[in-house]
Amino acid sequence: MTGRVVAGLAARRAIRGGAAWGAVFALVVASTAVGFESAYGTVEARQQLVRTLGGNAGIQALFGVTRDISTVKGFTAWRCLGVLPLVGAIWALLHATRTLQGEEDSGRLELLLAGPTTRAGAGVAAMAGMAAGLVAMFAVTAAGVLAVTGTGGFGVTAGLYFAVALVAAPAMFLAVGSLTSQLATTRRQAAAMAGGVFGVAYAIRLVADSGSGLRWLRWASPLGWVESLRPLTGSRPLALVPIAGLTLGLSAAAIVVNGARDYGTGALPASDTGPLRAGLLESAWRFSARLTRPRAVGWAAAIGLMAAVVGLVAKSVGEAATESEGFAEIIQRLGGRSGGAEAYLGLSFTIVAALLAFQAAGHVAATREEEADGQLDNLLVRPLSRSRWLLGRVATAFAALAAVSVLAGLASWVTAASQDTGVGLGRLLSAGMNVLPPAVLVLALGTLAHAVAPRRAVALTYGLVAWSFLVELVGSLVNASHWLLDLSLFHHIAPVPAVDPRWDTAALYVVLAAAAGAISLVAFNRRDLVGA
Amino acid sequence: MCSLTEPAIRTAGLAKRFGGFDALHPLDLEVGREEVVGYLGPNGAGKTVTVRLLLGLLRPTAGRAEIFGIDAHRNTVEAHRRLAYVPGEASLWPSLTGAETLHLLGRVQGQVDEAYQRELVERFALDPSKKVRAYSKGNRQKLCLIAALSSRADLLLLDEPTSGLDPLMEQEFRRAIVEAKDAGQSVFLSSHILSEVEALCDRVAILRAGRLVEVGTLAELRHLSALTVQATLRDPPPDVTGMAGVTDVEVDGRRLRCHITGPVGPLLDALAPAGVLQLTSREPSLEELFLAHYGGGE
Ligand SMILES: Nc1ncnc2c1ncn2[C@@H]1O[C@H](COP(=O)(O)OP(=O)(O)OP(=O)(O)O)[C@@H](O)[C@H]1O
Ligand SMILES: [Mg+2]
Repeated sequence: MTGRVVAGLAARRAIRGGAAWGAVFALVVASTAVGFESAYGTVEARQQLVRTLGGNAGIQALFGVTRDISTVKGFTAWRCLGVLPLVGAIWALLHATRTLQGEEDSGRLELLLAGPTTRAGAGVAAMAGMAAGLVAMFAVTAAGVLAVTGTGGFGVTAGLYFAVALVAAPAMFLAVGSLTSQLATTRRQAAAMAGGVFGVAYAIRLVADSGSGLRWLRWASPLGWVESLRPLTGSRPLALVPIAGLTLGLSAAAIVVNGARDYGTGALPASDTGPLRAGLLESAWRFSARLTRPRAVGWAAAIGLMAAVVGLVAKSVGEAATESEGFAEIIQRLGGRSGGAEAYLGLSFTIVAALLAFQAAGHVAATREEEADGQLDNLLVRPLSRSRWLLGRVATAFAALAAVSVLAGLASWVTAASQDTGVGLGRLLSAGMNVLPPAVLVLALGTLAHAVAPRRAVALTYGLVAWSFLVELVGSLVNASHWLLDLSLFHHIAPVPAVDPRWDTAALYVVLAAAAGAISLVAFNRRDLVGA
Repeated sequence: MCSLTEPAIRTAGLAKRFGGFDALHPLDLEVGREEVVGYLGPNGAGKTVTVRLLLGLLRPTAGRAEIFGIDAHRNTVEAHRRLAYVPGEASLWPSLTGAETLHLLGRVQGQVDEAYQRELVERFALDPSKKVRAYSKGNRQKLCLIAALSSRADLLLLDEPTSGLDPLMEQEFRRAIVEAKDAGQSVFLSSHILSEVEALCDRVAILRAGRLVEVGTLAELRHLSALTVQATLRDPPPDVTGMAGVTDVEVDGRRLRCHITGPVGPLLDALAPAGVLQLTSREPSLEELFLAHYGGGE
């Protein structure tokens, strides 16, 4: 009975999220298929595309290996499979940890557990709810895919298989998130652990697809399995075996661990006592730093690792790429200067820009959560002004973002230099700093949303980043009108170090951010504190 | 500059509306220096809203609130230097230990009586080396109490401060409030535990549906309310229903029970001919007062 309530609640939220992302998937698939027709209608255009992208090891490393991209279905499969599983996996791990750990953290689950159900039962029920969300995601995605069978030139079976491939990564990472939720003590820890798994999986896939001799590494990464499914381009359903195995295995493990641990604690040991560490408790500002630190460290590790991998493979990718004549064109189009390595690094840093923007959104969410959970009350009933508190949170978040951006440049330089790639420290540091302005703008706009519409702030902020990311993806493809592209935060960022940074844009971003920040301080002062 | 005679709390037409719902109708209330005032009312009456308005966490729809003459909304930080607050349901940072929480809150407060804090930790039997997430609800509540009391702030704003405390700790809390009062602090205590209010408060304010329905000392409130009279008579009791001020008459054989407001002389005169063997009268307890106010219609 109560189990059904838990399942029902979890299912409702999962179906809402799954269906929403399914709709995004459907939209991207459909617009890619339709857009391909208009953008690459002629044979010459398609040959050109194959030459440009087919030989571009950098793009292949980031988005996966191209196959049959002169056809609608080949291009659609490559383009969608390169990105949507990543987005879906991140949603899935956040969703799973929020459902399984977040409810427990906040004590809401306790209310339900008091009914006639066991915690293990509630855990299974919640996971069943998430499975329903996954089915919803599949259904909506499949609807989008099947809507363009005609344009895409593939059958219903192939279309369904494609939809399965698109939701494979979300399925696996729902399971990953379910297990880490049982291992960790808090939601944040659980999300960080699952995020770590995702980061490693992506890094391995990236190295495997970077054109070096490490192609076999693909089989070591769940994201590599998804790629190996090869939907629409010579399906290889064999890769479904490890995907299903991992999903079911981790889910089963999550259920077992859940049954064996105590409510409110993780299976991994976590100490419930500790010494007084006063250093970061001396003032509200220092305390901001303490609250920001775990998230900042997690992102620093993820982005630092990604930058290091990119730096490591930049030379070999660049050399492989320069041999294709299409690549020279890309470099020229980017307004570029010399070698393939720089162009590859430039493209890779646009991904870093997106990740850093997600980090910024995470800081906004944490700030809002401190208010929503009521912890902020403890500070603001004391002689601490609201502006001072908010400024402290924003300033520490800014410092974290700046540090991570510098770290990204530094990490890529260290590994690139170890390979004699020949891209200087200065250029890579400026590549790192170049991705800071959009993240700072996300931070400022998110803070503005927090000050004006607190209950919607988190969704708005993540939405802004996701929107920008999708516009970049879809927009660059369908030759979308310029105003659409202009609405993306990333579109105005130059691919440094392939080209020089655009300082005027950076300055504009910073000015906008400062204005949004100033308005936030005033607006936050004028409203009620609002709980969850 | 605030003078030395400004009351601890003064509200003038303080009101709060959420959407179309009046959570607090214009409220005029004063809490004097060194005074302990109880704030009572049924669930959803607007007590927490009042306290959060006084703290500047909510912005008033109308009116103003002053803490020792300092405007609580224009000059929030200054007002907060004079007060300490205990919420009914504390939400603290789960990863901090008790000691770390006290340290942080003390630093943000800016004034802590360290010795008194150590004493309170002892008296409330709190283990400060534990992390907040490992504390029981009562222990989290104690943490908030200790943080607030050890600031020795001039005004204590307490919103159901003892929810979750065991009877022993409740006793300890009362002692601490008496100490605070003796030290010249003012206390504004919202509570559902009437014995606590009865034991501690000089005055009581009763709120219902966002409106103040009664303010006064307990003696004053009792005065306004009915006395319970019970008489055992030699003869069958006379009919006293309809006499001025007499209500709720119950007759059980030779025994009569009724409530009376106002002078009791006429009632006694009416009973005397039946031969009064035994007569008891009782002032209403706070609980009865309270039920009368809670239960009544608009
Ligand atoms: N942020 C808000 N938005 C809308 N309505 C609110 C909000 N906060 C409080 N209310 C409403 O205002 C009314 C008064 O609430 P309040 O919390 O002050 O009651 P209370 O007297 O403290 O009750 P309790 O004894 O249960 O603590 C309630 O009806 C509540 O629903
Ligand atoms: Mg309340």
